Amino acid sequence: MKHLPKHLQPRWRYLAVELETWPDAAIDRRAFQRECWYAAQNLLGDPGSAHADMTVLRFEFAGETGEAIVRVRRGETEPARAALACIDEIDGAAVGVRVCGISGTIRAAEEKYLGRRGQDSEKRNVVFGNEERVAVLRECVADVRLDEAFAGATDLDYDLA
Amino acid sequence: MYEAVHAHPDGESTVARFAKTAADYGFEGVVVRNHHDSRADYDAEAIREAYGIDVVEGLEIRADDPQEASGSVGNYRTTETIVGVHGGTNAMNRFAVESEKVDVLAHPMADNGDVNHVLVKAAVENGVRLEFDLSGVLRTSGGRRVRVLQSLRKLEEIVGHYDAPYVVSANPRSHLELRAPRELTALGEEIGLSTAFVERGLAEWGRLAERNRRIQSESFIEPGVERGRYEEEP
Repeated sequence: MKHLPKHLQPRWRYLAVELETWPDAAIDRRAFQRECWYAAQNLLGDPGSAHADMTVLRFEFAGETGEAIVRVRRGETEPARAALACIDEIDGAAVGVRVCGISGTIRAAEEKYLGRRGQDSEKRNVVFGNEERVAVLRECVADVRLDEAFAGATDLDYDLA
Repeated sequence: MYEAVHAHPDGESTVARFAKTAADYGFEGVVVRNHHDSRADYDAEAIREAYGIDVVEGLEIRADDPQEASGSVGNYRTTETIVGVHGGTNAMNRFAVESEKVDVLAHPMADNGDVNHVLVKAAVENGVRLEFDLSGVLRTSGGRRVRVLQSLRKLEEIVGHYDAPYVVSANPRSHLELRAPRELTALGEEIGLSTAFVERGLAEWGRLAERNRRIQSESFIEPGVERGRYEEEP
């Protein structure tokens, strides 16, 4: 079908989203897209979800951090932001979600808001709470593996073993 | 705007990790509100220095009955900046709002707790802040979330009518559960709490901390009594 004339094309806004999980989780784009739809539907209902029209366009996930660009209709950014805030797990893995900025083009969203966090992480033995533990270190934060779960810490909390 | 958090060992992330994440998210401070049986071990001054964010020492008293809680309130009132009570049962809700020494009644509507006009009037009289706990909206779904929303709505109606003091929190237990202020205000709009209402509730933690620090400081003698300027000996 012939594409719409420019003044009838929908206007989009692009949300730059940062994701974070514990180190043992892996999230893919489809899972994130599914959770976006579920969150929007659960919070905004079917009409609200259709209005916001949240679509994941770019998705990168490595280690325990990730970045995504979510497209929503102009004027629906605040409901979309609320729906994103309600994503607490993806495939059973706890995630932290944060909208770092909104732009009118994908390129501006990427350049202004994404790619600021360091990606490289390393495994080290650390002393946390008087016990030696394995931790995944990234910049100055660390996720320390306890017996069953992880503990989020920073360089103020541990000593390198 | 401030967020009140459960830090390791009560939650999953340390106070420092919360402070670092909260600073990134645009909060002005974090209130540590571990339950009194699992207190966090941290150096508030060092964390303030490192991340440029206020760290308020507080705690939440969790007790089965008012007698037990009353003892704990007396024990911790002098050392902690913010003293909260873990609400959720009618007995504990009533105890908290009737006690002047308590700053915050945390999640009064959790579990099967309830609030009515009598409790809210008592809270106004004693300056006890009622908490709007958004964790149920952020992290549950389906019927449970519907009940949480209903209870928040009810609380908002009564609090609005009596102009009672309140605080808002997402009640995070790990840095992953923390949400930025703009996300919380957007969520508030969706569930019927206005942006101004949520912002005021988040900022109230900071005002409370400032007031209590002034009261607990050396220069404060008692209400209405101030140290004046005296003539100096020539």
